[in-house]
Amino acid sequence: MNNGEQRRLNGEAEEDEDDDDANNGGLAAWERAYADERSWESLQEDESGLLQPIDNQSLKHAQYRRRLRAASTARIQKGLIRYLFIVIDLSKAAAEMDFRPSRMGVVAKHVEAFIREFFYQNPLSQVGLVTVKDGVAHCLTDLGGSPESHVKALMGKLECSGDSSLQNALDLVHGYLNQIPSYGHREVLILYSALSTCDPGDIMETIQKCKKSKIRCSVIGLSAEIFICKHLCQETGGLYYIALDEAHLKELILEHAPPPPAIAEFAIANLIKMGFPQRAAEGSVAICSCHKEAKVGAGYTCPRCKARVCELPTECRICGLTLISSPHLARSYHHLFPIVPFDEVPLSLLIDQQNKFPRACFGCQQNLLGPGNKPGLRVACPKCKQHFCLECDIYIHESLHNCPGCESTRHSRIPNINEG
Amino acid sequence: MASAASKLYADDVSLLMVLLDTNPFFWSSSNLPFSKFLPHVLAFLNSILLLNQLNQVVVIATGYNSCSYIYDSSSDSNQGSDHGRIMPARCSNLLQKLEEFVIKDEQLFKEGSREGISSSLLSGSLSMALCFDEQIYRGFFDQGHFILNLAVTMHAMQILCLQGSSDGPEQYVAIMNSIFSAQRSMVPIDSCYMGSSNSAFLQQASYITGGVYLKPQQPNGLFQYLSTVFATDLHSRAFLQLPKSLGVDFRASCFCHKKTIDMGYICSVCLSIFCKHHKKCSTCGVLKLLSVLYALCFGWVRRITT
Amino acid sequence: MPQVRIIAKNFMDMVAALPAMKLDKLYENAFICEAILRSLPPLAKKYVLQLLCIEVPVTAKSMEEWVLPDGVSKHRVAIDRLIQLRIFTETVDRKRETTYTLNPIFQTNLKKLLVHGVVLPREPMPSNITVRLPSLEDLQAFALEQWECFLLQLINSSQSERPSNISSSMMKTFQRGLLSQRDREAPRLTDSGFQFLLMDTNAQLWYIIREYISNSEERGLDSADLISFLLELSFHVTGEAYNINTLNERQKNIIKDLADLGLIKLQQGRKDSWFIPTELATNLSVSLTDSSSRKQGFVVVETNFRLYAYSTSKLHCEILRLFSRVEYQLPNLIVGAITKESLYSAFENGITGEQIISFLQQNAHPRVAERVPSVPENVTDQIRLWETDLNRVEMTPAYYYDEFPTRELLEGASDFARGYNALLWEDVNSKKTRLVVKAENHVHMREYLGRQRQ
Repeated sequence: MNNGEQRRLNGEAEEDEDDDDANNGGLAAWERAYADERSWESLQEDESGLLQPIDNQSLKHAQYRRRLRAASTARIQKGLIRYLFIVIDLSKAAAEMDFRPSRMGVVAKHVEAFIREFFYQNPLSQVGLVTVKDGVAHCLTDLGGSPESHVKALMGKLECSGDSSLQNALDLVHGYLNQIPSYGHREVLILYSALSTCDPGDIMETIQKCKKSKIRCSVIGLSAEIFICKHLCQETGGLYYIALDEAHLKELILEHAPPPPAIAEFAIANLIKMGFPQRAAEGSVAICSCHKEAKVGAGYTCPRCKARVCELPTECRICGLTLISSPHLARSYHHLFPIVPFDEVPLSLLIDQQNKFPRACFGCQQNLLGPGNKPGLRVACPKCKQHFCLECDIYIHESLHNCPGCESTRHSRIPNINEG
Repeated sequence: MASAASKLYADDVSLLMVLLDTNPFFWSSSNLPFSKFLPHVLAFLNSILLLNQLNQVVVIATGYNSCSYIYDSSSDSNQGSDHGRIMPARCSNLLQKLEEFVIKDEQLFKEGSREGISSSLLSGSLSMALCFDEQIYRGFFDQGHFILNLAVTMHAMQILCLQGSSDGPEQYVAIMNSIFSAQRSMVPIDSCYMGSSNSAFLQQASYITGGVYLKPQQPNGLFQYLSTVFATDLHSRAFLQLPKSLGVDFRASCFCHKKTIDMGYICSVCLSIFCKHHKKCSTCGVLKLLSVLYALCFGWVRRITT
Repeated sequence: MPQVRIIAKNFMDMVAALPAMKLDKLYENAFICEAILRSLPPLAKKYVLQLLCIEVPVTAKSMEEWVLPDGVSKHRVAIDRLIQLRIFTETVDRKRETTYTLNPIFQTNLKKLLVHGVVLPREPMPSNITVRLPSLEDLQAFALEQWECFLLQLINSSQSERPSNISSSMMKTFQRGLLSQRDREAPRLTDSGFQFLLMDTNAQLWYIIREYISNSEERGLDSADLISFLLELSFHVTGEAYNINTLNERQKNIIKDLADLGLIKLQQGRKDSWFIPTELATNLSVSLTDSSSRKQGFVVVETNFRLYAYSTSKLHCEILRLFSRVEYQLPNLIVGAITKESLYSAFENGITGEQIISFLQQNAHPRVAERVPSVPENVTDQIRLWETDLNRVEMTPAYYYDEFPTRELLEGASDFARGYNALLWEDVNSKKTRLVVKAENHVHMREYLGRQRQ
């Protein structure tokens, strides 16, 4: 309620400058909540006059499949070792309240989720944070592999003022990314709230510089499309999207979490020296190099300089060796061996041969027949021909990365087992 | 590698997925024959169902050519009427399904007709168990329970692998994928390994997901092991002394000489591991195309794990 | 629910309160053992299971080694409970070492359960008899209807559409404490009666069953018998029909009472009669904390104090009427508003604001249950405000002084009292000189006035 009231108080002051809100600017906060959500539209009346909510699950699933298919066509080689700078625009446009509570708050919330997801999916990669305010770019955190330190730094610095400067941000990031080794994929993700950029020089030169350094720049806008952002993304091979609302923003940000397709000339395949530290014995005391304090047990010892670190993956503070463990490598393997998208089983086929098809989802045993024993939507793995429900389809492709059907056959040796 | 963060479990209601290894090549050579092993497991399942009316047990058979659901306690009550008494029905149901499964599994083998396979398809049954868990979890959230009151019974899900046969190196990637997915959903994977040497897969699985790995010293007292260690609900685990994992060696082995190494070189594109610096990654050099990579991946993944 | 003054106690507390003799007799029944085991705290269950195959006494010291330092208090609670229920017997031997042994009858019964699994108390109807049994949904609907009918009757005997067969004497016992009747007036719900209505079904059931058991002696039934029968009943399979002839005379009588409450559905076959336990009966042995049987919510409260309840139930409507103004009813929708007046009448009946809020929260429709908070904050705040409005009068013990000889003395005295922050009221304007001061400062005042008089 607090937000709502705040919004209402600010409503009058905002109205003149608020372009996005022009169409519903005359509404009070509570009216707007109804206008946005249109809750009555999700009700339906059945024959006997009882009110029922509409099931929009199949719609959601269709959307998901479209995304999956788009992703799978572009599947070639992936850049697994990424160096990503997230640039957050904290100019005064970020204080706008068209996202609730404010653009800045929403961006921070989703960047936090993104950072965690990013490290989950790319354990060998590093992230840095840059903020832009008062026309100056400021490096909040250096490139690093610990999600906690980034999140902490971000949450501590949430104030906005002044103008935004795309050029300053790019120059700063370019300076950092230019130093990283050639095998790494250089990326910038800009979350841009402002509708303008206030630059000290020619931004076109900076864009060319980025292009030359093979930095892939992507922008997610929170207000409207701007030419210079579009140009930047086109030149450097990044993505440019405008967020329509909070849910869309979240989706757009998280789209950057899986590794992008690697373009051969962007990063040179190379062998990187890495250490596999062993876990220190329980009860041994050592000073850890990351927190600079004495700790008992639970730590890893760098194989080159014998310094103690608290968690993996990280870079040794003393000798700079990348320290990882074999599960971290294993976590990236699913990007290398993705599972194929499942095919939707056409309804006509289902009606004809209903009895021949399995009744339950192979993964979760849920009944695949819809209400009233009518055949519902289902998908089948093109390899093992097992049938799955829509929820398992999403789970399998987004989290599990295994097809239960293929895994429970000795598929690699015996091709095309047709049961019965 | 941090272990999975522990969730707070308000209640001791649990959903236990038991993955039962049925590989005949293992059981024929085991100290504890399958016929003696099974009563322990059945008594254990009974005791879980005895502890709480809402407990649910699901058994998945892990064969060497296929995997299949063979028992779900939630569908018990419907079948009770034929046999009159529930429990014998529970046993006979399970045993009957198990027998059907083993026969079918063997037939599949004959089709393939090759030498004895010492590993079971753990990756398949793990994937199935996780799909099942996910569905239960989703069902819980769909009901809109979760904001109402966090103390509302949420099935604490756990997976118990009763495994005997040795690890199948070709399953490495799939098993690791399953482990990470379980870690993400905070489902602990417990493992009771009956084989002679330790299973590296299960040790990793239990360590990463915060479960318990146990290799019974005296297989004849299996029930006592099971009831002491694995019947512990996740809520009580915070208070009880359970077997601690002795730490798992997370060092990798290089692809070229299969040595365990402290430091090595990793290809930035395909993540192959080498112990010496080469000018070019030999794995990548060969594997330009995805299709080729697919065909050969099982060859080099096996090398990671040995 | 917070502040529930009616404590719907657990079945097991009732069992634990039984004398030792009766307890030991109870354990001869395997179902009781199972039900008792299930009701134990998780750690205690664990211990029982762990000791099941151990025949020799186990020392307290070795058991303490099982727990981590964090769990010591839980460990104590578990052990105490086990001893209280006489599942563990504690012995102190010559070396002053405490050892525990499992109750042998309990142990053998549980072992049997483990090996043979759960055996049903009695054979369900053989499948060769072709009688149309009600489906599970029908049965659930029946139980719900019966229960609501009972509740409706409980609130207002005249309002019930269908007279139930519950004897008036039984009804009286149930109504005791929930209804109060002054002579010749219509019975009114008491404070606890209103609170009872806002509880969830499980808690209500407990309350009623507890009343039923505690009154059993009056009706010439042994409470231990009744408890064991009720527990046994909870192990029957929902929806299966059982032959009524397998019960003894006393149990048949109980069955009839339970059928009226909706715990059991009776069905007359061609030759035999059958009884079919409903969900209410099979949930009896589940402890109160298990809220998994919670029904789906149905209430949507909006920031404008309007209330939409998707329900066809008359009882829901009645309950909503307790604290809101019901405006109109559609086939499955009740629309009402929470107003100051409707709330005041609820408060007068002894319902607290917190109870109303928690009722609204617990029964929130799934659509709004996802939101935080599920009931808009302004509504919950307003309910609390209106409630505190009623509690404006504050009692302070005080002394009253009057007939001051001079105005100066009065002013001096009031200044003095103010100095102690003890002045509650003074009357300066009228000719009468009056002053009220807090009682605790009377001593000082007396001294002061005494000094002034000199």
